[in-house]
Amino acid sequence: MRAVNPACKFIGLLILTFALAWYHDPIFNLAAFVLSAALLLLARVKQKTLVYLSAPVFLFAAGMFFVGFRFSAGDSLPVSETTMAAASTSFRNGMIQASRVLAYAGIGFLFTLTTDRILLVRSFQKQFRLPQVFAYGLLAAWGIVPHMIREYKRTRAAFLARGIRVFAVSPALLAPLLVKSVRWSEELSIAMESKGFSGKEKRTDFQPVRVRWYDRAFLGLCLLLAVLPLFTAG
Amino acid sequence: MKQNTWELKDVVMMAVLGVVFAAVYMAVFEGGLLISVALTPMGLSPFGFELVYGIWFMAATLAAYIIRKPGAALTAEILASAVELLMGNSGGLTVVLTGVIQGLGAELVFAAFRYRKWNFASMSLAGILSAVFIFCYELYYLNYYLLAPGMLAAQLLVRFLSAVLFSGIICKLAGDALAKTGVVKSYAVGAAADTGKIYDEED
Repeated sequence: MRAVNPACKFIGLLILTFALAWYHDPIFNLAAFVLSAALLLLARVKQKTLVYLSAPVFLFAAGMFFVGFRFSAGDSLPVSETTMAAASTSFRNGMIQASRVLAYAGIGFLFTLTTDRILLVRSFQKQFRLPQVFAYGLLAAWGIVPHMIREYKRTRAAFLARGIRVFAVSPALLAPLLVKSVRWSEELSIAMESKGFSGKEKRTDFQPVRVRWYDRAFLGLCLLLAVLPLFTAG
Repeated sequence: MKQNTWELKDVVMMAVLGVVFAAVYMAVFEGGLLISVALTPMGLSPFGFELVYGIWFMAATLAAYIIRKPGAALTAEILASAVELLMGNSGGLTVVLTGVIQGLGAELVFAAFRYRKWNFASMSLAGILSAVFIFCYELYYLNYYLLAPGMLAAQLLVRFLSAVLFSGIICKLAGDALAKTGVVKSYAVGAAADTGKIYDEED
């Protein structure tokens, strides 16, 4: 999964996600979740990371099960009669809501955990013709994230030193962060422009991001998986 | 300076605002999760998130308030959602798409005011329309149409309140406060504001 071109991976998995929304079938959703988890393990993503990330997803899925269970739209449910003959409407509805949380999150993690962030932006710039100003602006903003974290911790420590306890998202902490962030963004753009960045000139790439045969194959596979249920059902 | 071209400093600032609000959202998300776990047995768990939904719209309204260019709300929201994608989130890949949809909602309101009205009302309305837009999308994408209409109406109502609070009231106050510090002097909001001393880095 790591080798697939980020833009192709993005489009392919997006198609699959929408296909799942269209079918809203708990079995497909769960299959997508299991498949994503398997691919993540194959891609050697740390199991600890997976457990840490998926814990809130399971909680949310449980929450959505009860929403679907208790507040089902009932008779107006646009699902065919035969598929829900065995299970009651509200139970099935709960399963749909819970499984789609798992499926979307699984596919989402499959994308983010196997994709290099810098490569992703560069791939978007190349394959989606994203203007340079946006691609590099995004990278620049991403680059100051560590500064933001440090600044946040520093402000918090300053309050603590004065014996003032502030909660995690208190305005007292966020206001200085916002001011600093806006100033950094301006300094950063001045710095970039002073180094010759205008966003208009043609650039060459250190490592060009290309679409190879297996990227196309991946896209094809996703499309195939998305339309397959249509044929098997008919 | 042409009105409609994006300068690098606009783009970087919008993306940076996106980072800030994405981080705030993630922090608040955990609080939302706690509330929703508590509400799970009643089947009311989405309300935990509906309460903080308005934070999603903040990047759009605050950026538009500061920059005041056509397209600022939409572009800022898309950039913010791209940042969210970079950070990795549990909502899945479609986060960029939701950014486009929410941004469009806010943008339409500012456009309707011809980019001249920048007050509590216009910013709250921008948040509300974002909420309406994204809700329509969720009806399909999150299969919400399978839920009871009363439940959906209640969810939408809470989301409206959240939008007004975060993207209307708090963003306006934050924008004015920023203008007062002088850091946004080179943007439309700062040019209009009565600024005092500009902070020095070492202050």
